[in-house]
Amino acid sequence: MNLDSPAVYLSLLTFLPAVAAVAIACFAPKDNAELIKKATLAVTVVTFVLSIGMLFGWPGIEFKAGQAEMQHLFSVDWIPTFRIDYLMGIDGISLPLVVLTTFITMLGMGASWPIDKHVKAYCVLLLLLETGMIGVFLALDFFLFYVFWEVMLLPMYFLIGIWGGPRREYAAIKFFLFTLFGSVLMLVAILMLYFSSDLRPLGADKLAELKVPAERIEQILDADTPQHTFNILALQQLGQSTEQFKTELWGWTYERWAFLLLFIGFIIKVPSVPLHTWLPDAHVEAPTPISMILAGVLLKMGGYGIIRICYPICPEAGYDLAWLVCSLGVVSMVYGAFAALAQNDFKRLVAYSSVSHMGYVVLGLGVWSAMSPTYNADYWKMGMNGAMFQMIAHGISSAGMFFMVGVLYERVHHRQIDQFGGIFARMPVYSGLAVGIFFAGLGLPGLCGFIGEFFVVLSTWKYCIPLAVVAAAVVILTAAYILWTLQRVYLGTTYLGPHEEALTPITPREMWIAAPLLALAILFGVYPRAILDYMEPSVSLTADRLASKTSDFDGEQQPEAKVAQALSPQVETTDIPKL
Amino acid sequence: MQSARHSTPMNPATTLPTILAIAWLLPLAAFALVWVGYSLPQMAGGRASYGAQRTAGWLATGAIGTSCVLAIVALIIWLTQTAPHEVATVHETAAAHQAASEHMASPPTSYSGIYYTLAQFGKLRISIGYYIDALTIAMFALVTLISTCVHIYSMGYMHEELEDMVDREIATPDGNYYHRPGRYHRFYQYLSLFSFSMLGLLLAGNLAMVFMFWELVGICSYFLIGFYFERPSASYAANKAFIVNRVGDFGMLIGLMALWSCLGTLDFGDSNTPGMFSQLRSEAHQYELDAAAMGSESADTNYLLLFVAGVGLFCGCVGKSAQFPLHTWLPDAMEGPTPVSALVHSATMVAAGVYLVGRCYPIFVPEALLVIAIVGAITLTLAATIAITAYDIKRVLAYSTISQLGYMMLALGLGGWAAGLFHLITHAFFKSLLFLCSGSVIHAVHTNDMRQMGGLRHKMPWTAYTMLIGCLAIIGAGIPALGIGLSGYFSKDAIIEQAWSFARVNESSGYQLLMWLPLGGAFITACYMFRLWFMTFTGMPANTERYDHAHESPRSMVGVLVLLAVFAVGVGWHVPGSKLSVTSLLERARPAGTLETTTGTWLPNLTVPDEHLSHEPQIAIPAGWSAFAMAMGGLLLAAIIYVWRWLRAEEIQQSFSPIHRLFVNAWWFDQLYDWMFVRPALWKSKFFAGIDRYVIDPFVNLLARGTAFLARALDLVVDRKAVDGSINGLARLTWDFGNSLHRLQTGNLRQYVVFIVVGLLGLFAAVSLCWKYALAG
Repeated sequence: MNLDSPAVYLSLLTFLPAVAAVAIACFAPKDNAELIKKATLAVTVVTFVLSIGMLFGWPGIEFKAGQAEMQHLFSVDWIPTFRIDYLMGIDGISLPLVVLTTFITMLGMGASWPIDKHVKAYCVLLLLLETGMIGVFLALDFFLFYVFWEVMLLPMYFLIGIWGGPRREYAAIKFFLFTLFGSVLMLVAILMLYFSSDLRPLGADKLAELKVPAERIEQILDADTPQHTFNILALQQLGQSTEQFKTELWGWTYERWAFLLLFIGFIIKVPSVPLHTWLPDAHVEAPTPISMILAGVLLKMGGYGIIRICYPICPEAGYDLAWLVCSLGVVSMVYGAFAALAQNDFKRLVAYSSVSHMGYVVLGLGVWSAMSPTYNADYWKMGMNGAMFQMIAHGISSAGMFFMVGVLYERVHHRQIDQFGGIFARMPVYSGLAVGIFFAGLGLPGLCGFIGEFFVVLSTWKYCIPLAVVAAAVVILTAAYILWTLQRVYLGTTYLGPHEEALTPITPREMWIAAPLLALAILFGVYPRAILDYMEPSVSLTADRLASKTSDFDGEQQPEAKVAQALSPQVETTDIPKL
Repeated sequence: MQSARHSTPMNPATTLPTILAIAWLLPLAAFALVWVGYSLPQMAGGRASYGAQRTAGWLATGAIGTSCVLAIVALIIWLTQTAPHEVATVHETAAAHQAASEHMASPPTSYSGIYYTLAQFGKLRISIGYYIDALTIAMFALVTLISTCVHIYSMGYMHEELEDMVDREIATPDGNYYHRPGRYHRFYQYLSLFSFSMLGLLLAGNLAMVFMFWELVGICSYFLIGFYFERPSASYAANKAFIVNRVGDFGMLIGLMALWSCLGTLDFGDSNTPGMFSQLRSEAHQYELDAAAMGSESADTNYLLLFVAGVGLFCGCVGKSAQFPLHTWLPDAMEGPTPVSALVHSATMVAAGVYLVGRCYPIFVPEALLVIAIVGAITLTLAATIAITAYDIKRVLAYSTISQLGYMMLALGLGGWAAGLFHLITHAFFKSLLFLCSGSVIHAVHTNDMRQMGGLRHKMPWTAYTMLIGCLAIIGAGIPALGIGLSGYFSKDAIIEQAWSFARVNESSGYQLLMWLPLGGAFITACYMFRLWFMTFTGMPANTERYDHAHESPRSMVGVLVLLAVFAVGVGWHVPGSKLSVTSLLERARPAGTLETTTGTWLPNLTVPDEHLSHEPQIAIPAGWSAFAMAMGGLLLAAIIYVWRWLRAEEIQQSFSPIHRLFVNAWWFDQLYDWMFVRPALWKSKFFAGIDRYVIDPFVNLLARGTAFLARALDLVVDRKAVDGSINGLARLTWDFGNSLHRLQTGNLRQYVVFIVVGLLGLFAAVSLCWKYALAG
């Protein structure tokens, strides 16, 4: 057991919250809520320190900025029968998301202080949730990924369903069933891919690179039957350089079906119109810290899945269906913005703004503009990086917005926008922070929201001009709903709602949650390379690998020929280019 | 990174970026200091004391004052260290002029480079950089100077904010006025942030950076308009300003996207890779516009893209510079404190649109220029007609600003690059002077309504006569025979000359209008400006109570007025004993290839004339005299109505009643937009929210109910008989877990959990078996 080893370090990072949860469940005294909260906060802080520890860490676990490939890749046998491994690793795509997760969870725990119902259970579930979230971002075995995905689902269900508002049960069930529906589709896709995959064409070197143990490599290469795999990295390579997923089923290739199923599963999480209606309900009913985590981290899993799984494993389908991805992104942006404009519930408004902002993510990931004649992938790289940046930026701004709404709700116990007003005069410091964070959501330059939106919108033109124009128009709507809200809630002289006497200035605890969010929003807005230096190489590598296939996809006129090729014995000799 | 064309012992290529960067960042430092320094005591529940607030004012003023000094140092370095272009002077022979034009066909001296990179993707790079040419230097000096003036002026004007403030515009339910703590330091904080953003906009080395600071000045304007945010009118005006500006920015984004996607860069200058200007006007093409740089295969598409890019960029400028049809926000923006109106909403920020058109001039195809000219012409007339009927002194000035910005746009659109930017600079001085004078008046009489004023020149002579200078400057007063006049005389004449020159080469009657409208506008301008001056300062006091309380403003305010008056008089002049003037400085920045007479591609009979041709005597003399006559006519009319009272304003209003109502209601644009855009947007938002509530959700609920029904049915058949008997350990564990949680509160969860776990395992097993057999078979 040595912390230098990535296997130990990443496992510790992932399971520390779960272990702590078990410890709290078993040993913590039930009646000392304060102690349990403090212990939980300490665990989230340690987890956060562990996650950023990789940025500054000692040799062995240090994350090397500028390196595009997967780092700290390790593999341990888990269920050998199905060749399921405990396979984890981290790269520029997952690292910022992991850090975001631990950061938002830490702040979320800080925001959980007012919770006084079943504190022990709450803290246990929150920590389990954290393990699930970190695991999703680190797992590179499809089955492991799926397990973490489900692990995260249940605590969330209870956190909404028990600690939520008046309609919590409806909201929790809705959240649960929507996500479950998505994960069932995902499971079908996973199995499709698993059973049509075959590791043999990859060759010994590649398998060694993927951390397959030496004795098993021989076994795989000598086998007569197809050697299936759940290894996401292997599936990516198979998807990109072999014809294994091109078998046809009801007129579409497996690849396409898998892409579609996975994509639906992920956009439920994003969420994208028309599968978004669980989100406003879940947010409205969830307690403040859970809203922060839900918006700040859980939504990001959808985007993460699309860039890590959908596109790299099913590139041709991704190319063919890019129009669908982009259109859904733009529709979500417009739809979310309009719907936000109509809301009177402050939290529901922020929830719809999330729908709109996450639309940028889907759009940015989808703008596969590396098309004929130049096959220049630069604009797509920009879109993808913008989308990934937007995920982090939205994680910060939306968590902040939900927290800011929560601060008000805690004082006056209502969220009706038309019953606020004059908050600025009563809570000046709070209002200053809130305005800053809302402006980050508005996409004001100098704050984090701008960079992602700007990059995504700029990169869209190259893919499709009409979509770009519509996407650009959303800036007007965003400004409208955010400024109108700020006006009704913060400006003016008179507070129109009940409990006016409760509007006391912000407390230091709340300050310590809001101020770091605003500080990060400014830092990332002014110096986006603080994220991009870590993220960009990996994201760009993903785009480059896929874009290099575009000319093949364009040149392919007859799918039948492809299938014939896939079924022919040439599979074994398929040349795998050095990636 | 720098591309210097001239190297000298003290290399401007390195000193200028440093000096200007310091000048740019100083106000930001002041902003940050005030923000942090004054938020901390507030968190502890305290509030900034009188002395602390004053310190904030001095801090901000000191910062912008230092910036101003640095900007002037930069100007001096520029003038001494860089070799001037040969500038074609006014009276040159055609031959010499031809030679000069050829010489001009080289890029102007400029320094461009990068402070730091925001992001790089392959060959695409977005950075924080600089592009420094004579225009940057001139604008830097202008903005820092006026900003410093406004900072100093505000020390007097905003002194009420130092103590607890009584807002007389807001009545509380108990019949008193609204009391609140003063916000003096906030005001300076916003001013500092604005100065920083505006300077960043000027220094920007690429359009992406321009866009960022474009939005930032927008948000500063939002804060400053909404400074009295307790007043509903102020918060509405602030929202309106920002949202209308965003409409323009939408167009600007389209322009940016087109350029970015076609050229692969948004840099103005060349740093390592060729920038936009050298791609679109390359040396190989003698700096003529080269649409092929847009990269698509057909020439028509290229031209269309370039047109779209130009018009898109111009949309942003329409929003920021309050041009028709997005002009409606600026009059409402007068809700902000008057120094803000002087700095942000007349002299600098709203002029940023004109600046940007000037900066991006090499991008515009002749057809796009025509669009600019038409919009400018419509704006200048429309705004002038509204100004003549307004009674709010600040609104008159606001409409006058819109109208003058229209002049600048018109000039740029007709090929008068130097004329438009020259007017931008002169206008900045006399309009900030006018606004600060009006602020001085408002400060004295506590009202904006000119009908409550009158005779004030006896009470506040300094204000009255400096404002008279401002009025004379804006109408372009001067003596054509001698060629002397106030600053506005030179710049407005240059615009009229260009319009005259344009009308001479373009025969069609539509184009003639582009000459007649500015001439008519000159008449109306003189009329409404002197209507304002006469109503305010001459005649009998309309409200004796207000008159008796009126007093001249403190020295900090009057001093600034005098300083600005000096500039309003002299900024158009040559430096005695040299050829140096604002115009000659601007000529040094003229973009390569934009001077030649060009003709449109889609509109072959559209000719944009060489600007230097407008200085030929056969154009300059008649144009100058017409402008003079128009201005004098307007002045006379105002005098007839408001001094000699030969005509009564009320009678004129009655006899032109429909037109008067049109003007008074600002052509009903606000109402029109409310019906055309605001309400439909709200309807649409209700519609979309309704889809969620009445279509998607019921559908989902229906599905859920159906599934639940099915589950109950299955429960009877399967669960009791099959599953219960063979449930495995994992499921039992989960069952217990669910059970234990169930005791906490929730409903019928365990059923779900069991179904999920069993269902998934079953699916997994079934599929894997099928596949095994399928593949084995």
